[in-house]
Amino acid sequence: MSMTQPQQGETLMQIRNLDKSFGGVKAVDDVTMDLRAGIVTTLVGPNGAGKTTFFNLITGNLPRDGGEVTWLGRDIAGVKPHRIARAGIMRTYQDLRLFDGMTVWENVLNATEYGALPIPLGSAARAARRERIERVLERTGLADKRNTRALDLAYAERKFLSMARIMATEARLWLLDEPASGLDPASYDRFLTILREDVAGGVTVCIIEHNLDIVIGISDRIAFLDRGKLLADGDPQTVLNDPELAKIYFGERT
Amino acid sequence: MEAYIYNLVNLIAIYSILAVTLNFIMGYAGIYSLAHAVFFGLGAYTSAFVAQNVSASILVSFPAAMLAAGVVSLALALPALRVRGEYFVAASLGLQVLSVTIYSEWKGFTGGIGGVLAIPPVNILGIDVFRPAAFAILSVTVLVLVLLIVNALVHSSFGRNLRAIRDSESAAASFGKNVPVIKTISVVISAALAALAGALYASYLSFINVESFTLDTSVLVMAMVIIGGTGTVAGPIVGAAILLILPSVISYFDFLPQTEIGSLQQIIYGLGMTLLMIFRPGGIVGRRSGT
Repeated sequence: MSMTQPQQGETLMQIRNLDKSFGGVKAVDDVTMDLRAGIVTTLVGPNGAGKTTFFNLITGNLPRDGGEVTWLGRDIAGVKPHRIARAGIMRTYQDLRLFDGMTVWENVLNATEYGALPIPLGSAARAARRERIERVLERTGLADKRNTRALDLAYAERKFLSMARIMATEARLWLLDEPASGLDPASYDRFLTILREDVAGGVTVCIIEHNLDIVIGISDRIAFLDRGKLLADGDPQTVLNDPELAKIYFGERT
Repeated sequence: MEAYIYNLVNLIAIYSILAVTLNFIMGYAGIYSLAHAVFFGLGAYTSAFVAQNVSASILVSFPAAMLAAGVVSLALALPALRVRGEYFVAASLGLQVLSVTIYSEWKGFTGGIGGVLAIPPVNILGIDVFRPAAFAILSVTVLVLVLLIVNALVHSSFGRNLRAIRDSESAAASFGKNVPVIKTISVVISAALAALAGALYASYLSFINVESFTLDTSVLVMAMVIIGGTGTVAGPIVGAAILLILPSVISYFDFLPQTEIGSLQQIIYGLGMTLLMIFRPGGIVGRRSGT
């Protein structure tokens, strides 16, 4: 695997001393990190380490207890999830949360429709949007399924539809919650290709992933979380070769 | 016989408007309201009041009815839609119960229990429309207009947003949708269009009272939607037609004990609805189960 050196892109998001507890259990404990433009950061750690909670705090799905999160220099404390999304931060969910009663096409189209009221688009804008969705469906292998309801898709197709929705948006930061779990090798390759292309196109990615092939194949940087604490944050080789972290990850806690 | 048919057409059209507008929020946004009769009643009382005191022109009384229902629905939607779905059902039930009390007591506006009498016929471009045949043209036209509006909304980005919210509120918000605002707008549109049914009803019967706007009516309209097919275009109309025609069909059979028709009707309704939910949960027009 080629090792991309983390480029020193502009800092998009600053996270300082982020805290969240659930009934006395610290789910996220004093986490500080920066997310820089064009960098793929992978969050690894055992189940229950606080990775998804970390996403929920960034996206406003959960209120934080303490700490600071800024996006492009602006504090986003207490900002509603839909406003954070419109500001350019979008996410996928581990349990996908597709719009099950809608077709593949409608799912992807609707991901780009933010406004409450229908805004008539000019024919040029409509054509551009259609082309954009076509391209997304082609890349995710869903072009033939455009008229299938999300509910009726196979497992891997559902995972790709979850990706397709975010790909169709103009978000600058993607938060992906285990997007590749349970995929077969061919689908892995497709997934990695998609991610590499979009990162090359300027998207910044923070991804929760357990599959080490994916982690190594895509990460510029790895952040290791355990019991809410950020134990390590650095280039993939250093973090993955740390014997102490490996013990925690594989359950041989000392 | 002819008058009987026209009467049935008018009632089916009016209740179809109610069912179509309830289906708009139930079937597409997943918002279950037990207060639909409130907006039916408000439309009826408002248009009756305006027709008696201001003008019976359709261009005055009908918009007034829509405005009143839209504003009152806002009072329900704004607080109730910020919480989860079950709470909206409870809040709508509360509004329904409260409204029946107000409709029974507010004599200046609703005539109290006695109701409003001698409501002038609706006036369209100087012509009073009151004969059942002429009124049937009006009520079916309004139904068609409501259907066109609802259909256009459902197939716009607004309709997709509603369905997205129904399927996953959190994911919809994660894709930039202001969920409470979208839900509120859908409730206001539904209530305002339901008020048209009320305005038609008041003008058609020229007499209204609170008995037409109770919880029973809300439940009946919900049954029309569910039996016909929630989330379908034709379902609510099919449901309305069946539930309105059924009583006449039952009373048509001479061998049935005429004094027991009422309870017989209830038994048939209950049994029919239970069997339908077991074998065709999507309703008559809806998808078969498992497809």
